Amino acid sequence: MDRKNILKWLKEPGKMGHKYSLWAVYFCTGCGIIEIPPTITSQWDAERFGVIPVATPRQANLFMITGYVSVKTLKAIIRTYEQMPEPKYTVAFGSCPINGGMYWDSYNTIKHIDKYIPIDGWIAGCMPRPEAIFIGVTKLWMMIDKGAATGYIRYRKNYKFYRRNQEKLFGKLPWPPLYPVDEKENKNG
Amino acid sequence: MDEELKRKIEKIYKDTEVEFPERNRMVVKTKKASTLSILEFLKKEGFRQLKAISCVDWIKEGEFELIYHLAPLNSPLHVMVKIRIERKNAETETILKIFENAKVYEREIYELFGIEFKGNPDLSPLFLENWHDLPPFRKDFDTRKYVKKTFDEIPSVEDRNERT
Amino acid sequence: MRELELYFGPQHPGMVGNFSITLKVEGDRILEAIPNPGYLHRGFEKLMELRNWVQNFPFVCRINVIEPDSMEAVYAMAVEKLANIQIPERAKYIRTIVLELGRLASHLFGAWAYANMLGFDTPAQWAMADRDHILDLFEELTGGRVYHIYILPGGVRRDLPDGFEEKVMHFLHALASKLPDYNETFFENRIFYERAKDIGKIKKEEAIEWAATGQVLRATGIKHDIRKIEPYFAYDKVEFDIPTRVDGDAYSRILVIRDEMLESAKIIMQCIEKMPEGKVYERTPNPFKWKIPEGETYVRLESSRGELGLYLVSNGGNTPYRVHFKTPSFNHGLFILPKLLKGASIADVGNIMISLYVVAPEIDR
Repeated sequence: MDRKNILKWLKEPGKMGHKYSLWAVYFCTGCGIIEIPPTITSQWDAERFGVIPVATPRQANLFMITGYVSVKTLKAIIRTYEQMPEPKYTVAFGSCPINGGMYWDSYNTIKHIDKYIPIDGWIAGCMPRPEAIFIGVTKLWMMIDKGAATGYIRYRKNYKFYRRNQEKLFGKLPWPPLYPVDEKENKNG
Repeated sequence: MDEELKRKIEKIYKDTEVEFPERNRMVVKTKKASTLSILEFLKKEGFRQLKAISCVDWIKEGEFELIYHLAPLNSPLHVMVKIRIERKNAETETILKIFENAKVYEREIYELFGIEFKGNPDLSPLFLENWHDLPPFRKDFDTRKYVKKTFDEIPSVEDRNERT
Repeated sequence: MRELELYFGPQHPGMVGNFSITLKVEGDRILEAIPNPGYLHRGFEKLMELRNWVQNFPFVCRINVIEPDSMEAVYAMAVEKLANIQIPERAKYIRTIVLELGRLASHLFGAWAYANMLGFDTPAQWAMADRDHILDLFEELTGGRVYHIYILPGGVRRDLPDGFEEKVMHFLHALASKLPDYNETFFENRIFYERAKDIGKIKKEEAIEWAATGQVLRATGIKHDIRKIEPYFAYDKVEFDIPTRVDGDAYSRILVIRDEMLESAKIIMQCIEKMPEGKVYERTPNPFKWKIPEGETYVRLESSRGELGLYLVSNGGNTPYRVHFKTPSFNHGLFILPKLLKGASIADVGNIMISLYVVAPEIDR
């Protein structure tokens, strides 16, 4: 352990411990299926950074959206994200979630994903290399230190706008709202 | 061997044309009503595997064209059986009784082009959910207009330039 | 016992790719399995009609993420046939080497997926680490680890760099010397044998009826390979064998894959010895003004999963009129898989699905 960091560990032990062990949900959503296995196996070992894949969303606090998202996948992503316990962080890979990417004129892909769930960090590339994924994880650590990785707090504060966007795309949703939505405000705004 | 096959087909089925446009490819153009009997005849001659069913939308002539790709196991010849259907009320008979794996190809064509296959028990949607527009692979479906109408109209929740 | 409905869904620790199966279960036996594709559908064939012939090249390699070279090769073959372009001899040999290296990488990826699904970590980590050396070779040759955009109509994009042939031979010798370790740990392991023997059995007549191709057909005893039936590129100038087995179950399919990896290594070594000198690219017209004459064609090649085919129609314009890919996973995943899962136990769902080598992006396109 670095001697300069001892003060940080004594002041906020919870934040330092949770920052160095982000567990990721194993869900390959798109093209990124091809660069996740090299990252989590022994050649480019991700366990040095504390990131290991876990089986269910109830045990995880990092969600990696790898590649483009189609309309059917977005339903599965929203259900998985709402099942994760707080604090939780999301990172989007590739150029397709940012603005549509190569499939900007497709009738079945989502163009801007942060209209539906909050995103903390973006990693550019088509597919990003494993080294780019590790740089993204270290930048996420710096954001957690400053207190700027606030995706889940924004989701709770602006939940009725996110829910309105989701219902515009899918129609009536079969699952109830996660946080209480006031009916009177919904009619006006 | 290929010329003999061509003579046999043209003798039995009077309204078909058989051509060899390039090496190892045979094209059989026929009418919708004799599809089932030609496919059964070809299966008995040794073309035992149905590889795919393709569909082309000739919008200027007002017709759909269905192509059945068949191939045998031990020779390089590949056969394409082509029929034409009119575009307005597009429907045809299913070929499930001859080739069982036509079920999945017919389901895909019904969803993407709108051609109905009479006799197929399962034509439920395969890729798309809650789709109420035109079948998307037809030539008069404009995908860029659809994207503007559906996805770009949804407002973003917070301004992207605000966050540090 | 009661009947339950379970989702072997998109978020699953053993699932490779984004695919979902709905299972109707009673106790531990499956009564019915309904596959549910569509999580990766982009409407590829419609989008290709809006881009011109050369703009489609960086586009078409993203259909099958695990083996993008065979998609580029089949599109290049179709465009060359319609436009009547002849490619130089050296380009044919280089294309063969690239396709066989892609086949090796795809088979190693499949070995990782299978071992991971069964919970068998050691050979999974070895396979994934060995595959990374192939991606390093690709990066030196083409500039990218995953998406290469190297096989264009008219040849290949550039010549082999200096010292490339020695690196390839060094890698092949290293892989062949690791084979006894793989055999002892993975392929001839007693526990793996018990898990994979007699699972997902297909008889010879059924495999022909159900239009199976690739390893699924070769594991039942039929020698069927597009590289011997209709040779393309440099396959008629090298000698190789087609391995087959007779049982038709999951264990035979994995052994066929292992023997095919050795044949691929033989092909690459022969190509490096026999390659002639010369240029590697034939010039094609200005891409914005290139119009290909009217016509249609069907081309096919042998990918690592089965027979891959493309039906291309042109009406004399700047863009294709209709493009239809015939992918092997469409038939294996949507038609053969529900038939094999009837009566199986829940622990074998992933076993059967990965031994049939079903990959989700090929189904949805």
